[in-house]
Amino acid sequence: MHASIVESIRPAGMTRRQFIKSVIAAGAVSSSGLLFSGPAGAGPKASPRVVERLLTLDVNGQRRRVDVLPQETLAQTLRHKLGLTGLKVGCDRGECGACTVLVDAVPQYACSLLTQSVRGKSILTIEGLARPDGKLHPLQQGVLDEQGFQCGYCAPGFLMATLGFLAVNPHPNRQELAHGVSGNLCRCQDYDKILTGLMRGAEYMRKE
Amino acid sequence: MADNDALFTPKLTGHNYVTPDLRAKLTGSARFADDFRAEGMLVCKLLTSPLPHARVTHLDLRTALAVPGVRAILTADELPPPADSVSDSGAVIKASPWAERALTMEPLYQGEPILAVAAVDEATASAAIEAVDIAYEALPFVIDPLDSLRPGGANARTDGNVWLPPARPGERPRIGELKWSAAEFEAAGPDRLPLGKATNEWSYGEVEAGLARAALVLDETFITPNVSHQALETRSALAWWENGKLHLAVGSQSTVQTVPAIAKWLNMDANDIVVISEYTGGGFGGKITASVAAIIPALLAKKARAPVMLRASREDEQAIGRARPSTIGRMRAGFAKDGRLLGLDMLVVMDNGPYEEQFDALMAGRLASLLYQPQAMRWRGAAVLTNTPTRGAQTAPGGLQVSALLGPVLAKAARRLGLDPLAICRINAPEGRAPVGPPKPDGSLNAATSVFVKQALDRGASAFGWQARRFRPAPAKGTVRRGIGVATGCFVAGTVGFDGLLVITPQGRLRIHTGVGNLGTESFSDAQRVAADALDMPWEACEIVWGNTGRHLAWSCVSGGSQTIHAMSRAALAAGLDARAKLKEIAAQTLGGKPEDYAIGSQRVFRRDNGTQGLSFAEAARRAIELGGIYDGHQCPAGINKATQTAVAALAGQGLVAVARDTFPRDGQTYSHVASFAEVEVDIETGMYRITALHAEADAGTVVHPRAFAGQLAGRSMLGIGHATRQKWFYDKEYGIPVSRRFYQSRPPTILCCPEHFTWGSVGIPDPQTPIGARGIGEPPTGAACAAVLCALNDALGDDTFLRAPVMVDAVLAAIEPAIRPAADNLSANV
Amino acid sequence: MAIIRDGMPPFDLFRPASVDDALALAGRLGADAWILAGGLDSLERFKDRLKRPKAVIDLGGIDELRGVRREGGDLVIGAMTTLTEVSRHPDIRERFGLLAEAAAAVASPQIRNQGTLGGNIAQDTRCWYYRGGWTCYRAGGGTCFAGESPQGQNREHAIFGAEGCVAVHPSDTATALVALEARLVIKNRKGEREIAAEDFFVGPDRDITRLNILVPGELLTAIRLPATWAGATFYFEKVSDRPVWDFPLVNIAAAMRLNGDRIEQARLVLGAVAARPWRLFDVETAVAGRDRNAVAEAASRLAAKGAAVLPHNGYKAVLAANLAKRALLGNKDA
Repeated sequence: MHASIVESIRPAGMTRRQFIKSVIAAGAVSSSGLLFSGPAGAGPKASPRVVERLLTLDVNGQRRRVDVLPQETLAQTLRHKLGLTGLKVGCDRGECGACTVLVDAVPQYACSLLTQSVRGKSILTIEGLARPDGKLHPLQQGVLDEQGFQCGYCAPGFLMATLGFLAVNPHPNRQELAHGVSGNLCRCQDYDKILTGLMRGAEYMRKE
Repeated sequence: MADNDALFTPKLTGHNYVTPDLRAKLTGSARFADDFRAEGMLVCKLLTSPLPHARVTHLDLRTALAVPGVRAILTADELPPPADSVSDSGAVIKASPWAERALTMEPLYQGEPILAVAAVDEATASAAIEAVDIAYEALPFVIDPLDSLRPGGANARTDGNVWLPPARPGERPRIGELKWSAAEFEAAGPDRLPLGKATNEWSYGEVEAGLARAALVLDETFITPNVSHQALETRSALAWWENGKLHLAVGSQSTVQTVPAIAKWLNMDANDIVVISEYTGGGFGGKITASVAAIIPALLAKKARAPVMLRASREDEQAIGRARPSTIGRMRAGFAKDGRLLGLDMLVVMDNGPYEEQFDALMAGRLASLLYQPQAMRWRGAAVLTNTPTRGAQTAPGGLQVSALLGPVLAKAARRLGLDPLAICRINAPEGRAPVGPPKPDGSLNAATSVFVKQALDRGASAFGWQARRFRPAPAKGTVRRGIGVATGCFVAGTVGFDGLLVITPQGRLRIHTGVGNLGTESFSDAQRVAADALDMPWEACEIVWGNTGRHLAWSCVSGGSQTIHAMSRAALAAGLDARAKLKEIAAQTLGGKPEDYAIGSQRVFRRDNGTQGLSFAEAARRAIELGGIYDGHQCPAGINKATQTAVAALAGQGLVAVARDTFPRDGQTYSHVASFAEVEVDIETGMYRITALHAEADAGTVVHPRAFAGQLAGRSMLGIGHATRQKWFYDKEYGIPVSRRFYQSRPPTILCCPEHFTWGSVGIPDPQTPIGARGIGEPPTGAACAAVLCALNDALGDDTFLRAPVMVDAVLAAIEPAIRPAADNLSANV
Repeated sequence: MAIIRDGMPPFDLFRPASVDDALALAGRLGADAWILAGGLDSLERFKDRLKRPKAVIDLGGIDELRGVRREGGDLVIGAMTTLTEVSRHPDIRERFGLLAEAAAAVASPQIRNQGTLGGNIAQDTRCWYYRGGWTCYRAGGGTCFAGESPQGQNREHAIFGAEGCVAVHPSDTATALVALEARLVIKNRKGEREIAAEDFFVGPDRDITRLNILVPGELLTAIRLPATWAGATFYFEKVSDRPVWDFPLVNIAAAMRLNGDRIEQARLVLGAVAARPWRLFDVETAVAGRDRNAVAEAASRLAAKGAAVLPHNGYKAVLAANLAKRALLGNKDA
């Protein structure tokens, strides 16, 4: 950084050293821009082993052909390219669970997976639960009957996390199921009623 | 009423049912704002300030605009000037020169938007932001209110550091400067709020006399945290323009009221705005209407001539998504031997953020006067500006803080006086038409419509097993300490004067057009159960139209401040009664006799003396269309809001149109209360603790929808628990930059943070000042639960151990080993 | 250049199917390549645009890096085995329950489903300055904002071994692996070597810019749990502010061989108190051959000996001693 730039923008009452530190910390002063040439990946492929962009995904039992960038997350592919907007991107950093989908029956954060990494795996999203005739999945029905969730933004993630957990433990008690869905944040914090609904849904699933 | 029929028979009201929005939420088909797509849609990203206070000195957009795929860049100089507003009396109120704008060249906090880029995709928009050539002049900043009040402390804005009351009546509050003396800081010492000058104050009774004759006087300082709203849906909006009209799909707590708010931000005609907001991913007060994040895509869409979507990143949301202001309170409280609060002298300094004046400190005073009924009271407060994100109302603004500040003071007084903490809550609890400060100009106090919190304390204590828990032996494990706490919370819980709008269709169905927003409380639907009951309609024959102002919605309250169930059940009843009157008039005109000869039931209007003679609702609706005029909406009664009139005009001829404004009487201010009881077990070796039980007992009048009511009690209790246990900001004060930006750093509660046993109850005594009897429940659980947990922690670990909430691992361990308590920043909320 | 912390910049992605292919790529691409395990730590920093690798080598397609197998009395865990698999694996649970417990304490169920054992120990620090993009020593700059600045926010920072940088290692499993005397298999194009887990981690005294010894071209391929501590008495405890999705404020992993209440031998390791898992050598020495009930109180005080506390993290020294005592007494509820 040039001293003259520092002096010209240094606030009153700040020592020069303090200010340089703050500018370094915040990246406040521009030098030159860094330009990317659009979204289409990093230029020519140097190796035959660079991943193919075109791939086939098995989503909700359907095979979907899709062009996927190397840096694309599964959440982006599903929401932006396949129109599956049920999963939500609440944080984009694996901290809220709203994007949870099942990958080979295992709950995962779709925001934190590269789509290229799930080649050949089967993906289930919230849209794949109800039957084509509209009949709800028993887990959905259980939650519906208990008026679970408030704003509902976290609901798809919670339901998918629950399904994945029930595949491992179909007979959970409340505490076990709470641990099972503890990777899902609800900011309405209606956890008590959500859990009641999910327990009801688990019960319906066992009866089916 | 022309007849003696009950206003409504609660066949639906008070019962559980499946709300009409739930199925879509569970199948993923509910469309939240960022689920909308439009042909040619651009995406928008923000360039935000890296510094807490700065002026942009250099801005060159050429390189950014040259990035392929960039369509437009919006800067602050392109914003329309803020609109003046017009008061109810017609007086023009000039736009505030201090108001927040959507973009700025003088950012007042780190993270404030400076410009916005619209591009064909997210990657391009991000790359374009990085290509912006920008430089700043750093300006003085301050993060903590007390640092600003110190002699020589920095001001957050160039023209001052506090909000001052209007210089002359009828004018706006203004920004000015307030400093306290070094002597005042010196006198207070490191752990007490200095008793400096306030900017606002009120009092009633003889406070010093009350303190003088008290058996016990406590002088307590406590700090409540800054807590971001952190709705799971980050601020999102898709904007597009069609024939000069702005269409905005936006996450907003309110629907019809978002239109005038947007109109004001954009300085345009409200008739040219359509708001779509069927689903909103959480608000908690942060999205009461719409602000920065809706304005930016609206203007960018106009500039780029294409639909523009803004979906804030979580980190941007942390900056622009609003937060509850921290407060520092100093309370001198005098108690009689029996625990009665004789005098309360309260000073509250609030961290206001840099923009609009917040009212948490003010509300804390008003609610203290209600919640604890001090015989004499003085409140003083100051809203101090800081270079931190814009604050906004958050669930029980001021209500959370007052309980957190004073609940533990009552419990401490109980321990000092050898009283049961429950007894001290009870003896100070308001009752019936309890008085509320501040005093009116004539010196008298306002009155609540009704308060039954003593009953809530009694019922709650019994359900929780308070007395049994008080005398339980200590836990067997030597390092575990148990504590219990009880506290009350309250908040305003209802407004009046909004419109209801119904259509009985020629098919005999009831269509309810509501402008209430849907943020998940379900009050947009619950309130309508009353309209159905007024007409004795089965719920299956009802349909709610909501969430799109293009679909002709009635003027409704904002969905904030827990007013909806009170306000809109009244409006729904008013419209239901209008429908009933019109049905009878139509029947009388069609079949003879007088309207009062007719009764309503089973989706028919029929003669009281001969039930076979009558009209089905379907027939009556067809007849209404034939009659026209007031019956099918071709004429609209006076006194209806303009927005509703427009909706009625659009619906005219579709059936029997019933429309009415809520003019039911109400005498007093409407408040709801909650009494909360908590038990904690603290491991003093690890500093970790569990909330083993929590009971919340409500005094919110008639319960309209039990499951939704329970959800509010549980969810809003958790919000309070978050403030007590782990949610806060951390700031580096030297640089003015927050270091906690992620969920794992700001720690909103997870499902495993819940009380191990949560129970709830409701006194259920109808409020006599509203015909339905219902008051709001969204807010009062928050303060009650927060304070109950804080009281329980004090009970477990001793008085005088915590200076601030939340109480995290380090604070618990410092309570056991005071030597490790950090010496610095004792009165800062953000460390 | 203006700052934005949203959206991954582009990179070339490689998904080798074998370790040999991965090593060839890693060798060829050198410092340009970023090795991707579970991806949780990496993707976050790509999205923050703080790390901008030209190429990413995703190890997720290599089957030989997954799973648990026995080798004599040892257990060998593939570096790409998920934390869920580690926490549930019957052999690990039965013989090395310490590691199963530590793996189950990580973050959240979904993160454990995706995060790997190798990735968990090779993750970078969570210092909020460093993660926030501040140019501190660790990021190549000239100061430590948490430790050197008078207003530094350091409640989650180091009390031991801080030289310049006060960042801590955030892993739950690293602590357990050091306690279990795990050995790590590291490969490059030229061959492989096996090192003690303890020697994998480095403090700022050795290298202020990284937390482990891996250099470009190298892969951590497996974690070997030697039979030495199989079936011993274990203790793991994590202290955090949130029960899920939180990094440890302090954690402890202990392995002890007991004869009745007499401690024959013990290894105690604290996590999140230093830039690497922190052995409590003094405590180990003090308790060897002693009755644990008699010695726990006094010995545990040695755990905090030499702690250099910062203005906001004095509680960590208290935790160090308290957790050591609980570990020695083997009773979380004691």
